[in-house]
Amino acid sequence: MFIMIKMSLKIYKKLDLTGQSCAGPLGELSGVLEEISPGEAVEAVLGDEATKKDVVAWATKKGYKIVQERRDGNNYVVVLTK
Amino acid sequence: MKRVIVVGGGIAGTIVANRIARTIPEELEKGEAEVVVLDKSDKHVYQPGQLLVPFNVQDPVELVRNERDILDHRVRFLHGQKGEVTKIDPANHTVVTADGVSHTYDYLIIATGSHLRWEEVPGYKDAVYSPWDFDSALKLREALDQFSGGTVVINVAKLPHKCPVAPMEATLMLDDMLRKKGLRDKTEIVYTYPINGIFGIKTTNDVMIKIFQERGIKVISPFNVTNVDPKNKVMESQEGEKVKFDLAIGVPPHVGAKVIGDSGIGDKRNWVPTDKFTLRMKDHSNVFVIGDTTDIPISKAGSTADFESYIIANNVANEIRGTGLKKTYDGSVFCYIATGVDSATYIRFNYANPPVPPPPSYVHWWGKLMYNKLYWTVTAKAIV
Ligand SMILES: Cc1cc2nc3c(=O)[nH]c(=O)nc-3n(C[C@H](O)[C@H](O)[C@H](O)COP(=O)(O)OP(=O)(O)OC[C@H]3O[C@@H](n4cnc5c(N)ncnc54)[C@H](O)[C@@H]3O)c2cc1C
Repeated sequence: MFIMIKMSLKIYKKLDLTGQSCAGPLGELSGVLEEISPGEAVEAVLGDEATKKDVVAWATKKGYKIVQERRDGNNYVVVLTK
Repeated sequence: MKRVIVVGGGIAGTIVANRIARTIPEELEKGEAEVVVLDKSDKHVYQPGQLLVPFNVQDPVELVRNERDILDHRVRFLHGQKGEVTKIDPANHTVVTADGVSHTYDYLIIATGSHLRWEEVPGYKDAVYSPWDFDSALKLREALDQFSGGTVVINVAKLPHKCPVAPMEATLMLDDMLRKKGLRDKTEIVYTYPINGIFGIKTTNDVMIKIFQERGIKVISPFNVTNVDPKNKVMESQEGEKVKFDLAIGVPPHVGAKVIGDSGIGDKRNWVPTDKFTLRMKDHSNVFVIGDTTDIPISKAGSTADFESYIIANNVANEIRGTGLKKTYDGSVFCYIATGVDSATYIRFNYANPPVPPPPSYVHWWGKLMYNKLYWTVTAKAIV
């Protein structure tokens, strides 16, 4: 189910997580999402569907909200907020 | 005359300044260009060696040298109040130092590094030893000398932190050291990490976690530490776990330098927004960012800074000369991973290719020690 991004939500950071990084997509996201204030969101760009599913499952478990999921070419974009 | 200012003379700032000097020696000698390194300290600390100090593999005295001795003679170096940057102002192409002087630049390279914010986790500073801090690494060495068994917890407070593989290394070196001292049977080692598993990259995690299992190391993850009780020696997590310990070794939360926050040029944790390919600061094409300072989702490691230095030095030199090809960073990282006090493996990867560590061996351990030794004479001086 998709929830519309509220106009008031500001993207605090766009994270390009398509490449390899030591903390991995979840590690990178966990650090950044803890920082956001109410009204802010993080846009994560992910390189494959399996990673997107991991991110959505992890975020849901941690109590973050998925405000948007979309495709961008070969990538998957997920917008998350607290 | 074109002026290149490098803020921060740690691993990244030193290598990139030396590499630029070696790329445009004539321009520097003729006074057509100038490279200036600004650092508050005149000492250079080789932090990777701090990890080996507690295990008696590294003499701490060898980890500190005079920055002037490492810098190419063509590079100007200002330190103390003259080198401590209090404001970075990309809109006006200036940086201000603590002595009140405003320095203008044609190209700026920000290399102010990552720093520990212990106080983010109440009790951490009082209860946890950390090789990420020079003094704490020395204290940990003493504590390990006196250790006679019990529970040791290894903790990573927050991601990202510098040298992402180092917590695994500390754990495996500890395990090996305790085995060699005959204390392993009397010790439980517990590894706690903020996300599932023991490391963020799946291919590496899968190999390393097997080694942890073989060595009887207990893993609790995800474990996001909220506070540590120094009196009762208990570490608590957001997930509701409580771990009682006799000795705790950890990685405190990291942030970018204070001057980044004071100048209003970073994100909420003072990391500077950086293009992951060009290494230019977002919206400021004559400002480059290198090493731990960037917000790029990549390892904060000396080797990362070394790889990045080729791109920045090449592009700055070519822009000064008005010729040549532009290079881009492919996300290359190389890290040795100690798997004991005489064995190691490594990971080598970039944005496109995930790493799979080879079987641990003495050869890679030797490589790790050599890499550290050659830092002063080869890597820092940008000889290769
Ligand atoms: C325990 C440990 C083990 C590690 N192991 C490895 C390893 O095996 N391999 C590896 O590749 N990396 C390793 N690293 C990581 C490596 O040390 C860092 O990634 C590296 O030091 C980053 O370089 P840097 O220049 O970005 O930051 P730093 O080396 O921290 O330098 C930053 C510099 O900026 C200066 N500075 C800050 N603020 C100001 C200011 N306002 N004005 C002027 N100067 C300022 C500081 O004085 C400092 O000299 C390890 C780190 C630790 C702590």
